[in-house]
Amino acid sequence: MMRFDYYKRHARTRLALLAGLVLLPLASVAQDDAWGDDPWASENVSPWSWYGFVEGAAGVRTDENPLIDEDMPLGELRLQVEGEYQGDGATWDFKLDGIADGVEDDFTGNVREAKVSFTLGERTDVRAGRQILTWGTGDLVFLNDLFPKDWVSFLSGRDREYLKAPSDAIRTSWFGDNVNVDLAVLPFREPDVYIDGTRLSYWNPRAGRRVAAPPKLRTTEPARTVENSEAALRVYGMAGDQEWAVYGYRGFAGQPEAVDTDTGRPTFARLDSLGASLRGPLGDALYNLEFAYHNAPDDPDGDDPRVPNDELRFLTGYEREAFTNFNVGVQYYLEWMQDYDAFRETYPFATDERPEEKRHVVTLRLTWRLMRDNLVLGLMNFHSPNEEDSFIRPTVEYRITDQLYFNTGANLFEGQSPATFYGQFEPDSSVYARLRYNF
Amino acid sequence: MKNRVLRTLVIGLGLAATAFAPAASAQDRPSTMEIVKRANQASFYAGDDGRTEARMRIVGSSGREQVRQFTMLRRDGDQGRQQYLVVFSRPADVRGTVFLVEKNPGADDNRWLYLPGLDLVRRIAPGDKRTSFVGSHVYYEDVSGRDIQADEHELIETTDEHYVVRSTPKDPDSVEFAYFDTRIDRDTFLPMESEYVNADGKIYRRMKIEEVKEIDGYPTGVRMRMEDVANGGHTLVQFRYNAYDLGIPESVFSERSLRNPPREWLQRPER
Repeated sequence: MMRFDYYKRHARTRLALLAGLVLLPLASVAQDDAWGDDPWASENVSPWSWYGFVEGAAGVRTDENPLIDEDMPLGELRLQVEGEYQGDGATWDFKLDGIADGVEDDFTGNVREAKVSFTLGERTDVRAGRQILTWGTGDLVFLNDLFPKDWVSFLSGRDREYLKAPSDAIRTSWFGDNVNVDLAVLPFREPDVYIDGTRLSYWNPRAGRRVAAPPKLRTTEPARTVENSEAALRVYGMAGDQEWAVYGYRGFAGQPEAVDTDTGRPTFARLDSLGASLRGPLGDALYNLEFAYHNAPDDPDGDDPRVPNDELRFLTGYEREAFTNFNVGVQYYLEWMQDYDAFRETYPFATDERPEEKRHVVTLRLTWRLMRDNLVLGLMNFHSPNEEDSFIRPTVEYRITDQLYFNTGANLFEGQSPATFYGQFEPDSSVYARLRYNF
Repeated sequence: MKNRVLRTLVIGLGLAATAFAPAASAQDRPSTMEIVKRANQASFYAGDDGRTEARMRIVGSSGREQVRQFTMLRRDGDQGRQQYLVVFSRPADVRGTVFLVEKNPGADDNRWLYLPGLDLVRRIAPGDKRTSFVGSHVYYEDVSGRDIQADEHELIETTDEHYVVRSTPKDPDSVEFAYFDTRIDRDTFLPMESEYVNADGKIYRRMKIEEVKEIDGYPTGVRMRMEDVANGGHTLVQFRYNAYDLGIPESVFSERSLRNPPREWLQRPER
């Protein structure tokens, strides 16, 4: 315990020191006079371009979490360096993050992107390497986008960009006259960055209570073999103003919701998925419709309690500008277990907290852009009427200059039960602030 | 009957004669709508397509400066429809952001935004077009053109150099101005200055073209200033490396270009 406290104090000090080191030069930085340096001339001189940012971020829990001593789920200094090389036939780019982390008390480096993009013939684009992959029509709700997410980053207050975790993938895009095809092959399975109890506690159905680290949640990883590679397909196009898409996926679930028979540890179930979406104008607004059928091939009848059930997911959304610079978006989202009778009969844990057959979620997003978009006030609210839990996410984004950006907000959870999706994070509600300097 | 035919013939010949007369007279001045149409054509429809690089210096009311730099491709369709692709290169945090617009005069535009950090193609809900374009004092509508059918136009003055047209909104609740006066160059038909007047009769916003160059035979405003007269602050826009009639195919204005901007069309023309 002593040792643990020492570490905590040590980490804080280090963080404060580093934050000081960044903020000091920031305060004295003169406005970058991009107008004076004649950017017209500088372009295309070198095939290399360099960018990046330094960001200090801190988040504090709104209440004490009895399971986690650390009262900050977020406290870090991040340096991102981005380089791009425009060759004749291909563009190479990479994004590297270096993080001094005061919560887990370590220095880490992440390769966020390292990819090459090129065109084959007239109609095919290829992007190979580590990259961010996104598709689908949901607003922070994912049905057919089964690419890795980083929920730890998102729920602890990092930039929204970090909700998407990178994949090592080859993405091939073919563009036809009316139909386009995207195929992403992930040779090695890419799971989500799941909540392991270090920054946020979570519901453990086996224990029948919330748990946190130590010990960290440990999972059994499927073998890195060719059979375990993942593939995601999207066939899409436009019909008039309407966008349509059909999706297929073969791989693994992102969350460790299954149980490995040999080790007894959580693991990642096989997942096949098929879905479709529509998006387009509706009067003076936009609508979207999307569904996905998530099939668990290891549990065709739904009676294996170690494997998640088949699930039908459905989403519909509507967004419009309510008045000048003020947008309102609403969504209804359904997760519907398909073999619920079998699930209920074989559910191995206490029945009080057994999930219901359907999970209904409504979301509301309000966005207000002020001061020529330099100040953006946002509110995103997720609420499940049948699970009686909510996730409320107010955000304030302020662009001080082209270089300096201030963000603050909160991730607030509440629920009637500690076993529901948002309810489990209630003790992890937090407020955060971030200051970023772009260069 | 015979008389009437004769009279029509005489009047007809007379009109034809005035039309061919070299000296300026009241009859050969274009109608107000003709002036407005030609001004719209000159500002937003030069050639069948075009490309330009633009940079903006945005000076806030407190004197704080920001910069935007982008390359814009345009292609004209039928009945005033247009497609725009805007690829941002500065500042660092918006670099790689791409904006795709399908402009439908008199109706809502289709708009998409690509955010490279999230690999996300977002469709933007139709909205008020008289709001800031990328944080500047320039409105979306100033970039793509205001629907000429949305206002009543009246020629209030003709000087040696300019036609001065007053445009009054047909739906006053849909806009923030009571009317605006535009000084249109009689030779090039470029709108050289617009002053927006509010309900109190005060000028609160002013657009001025400060430099014109002829490019590929089209007079082009290459330096424009948008001033927030009411609150202070302005945006200076410079256009360079303009080119017209490049033959940009329609397929360039698609999701493909959002994720992978078309270098072939974005690169500077050789001249």
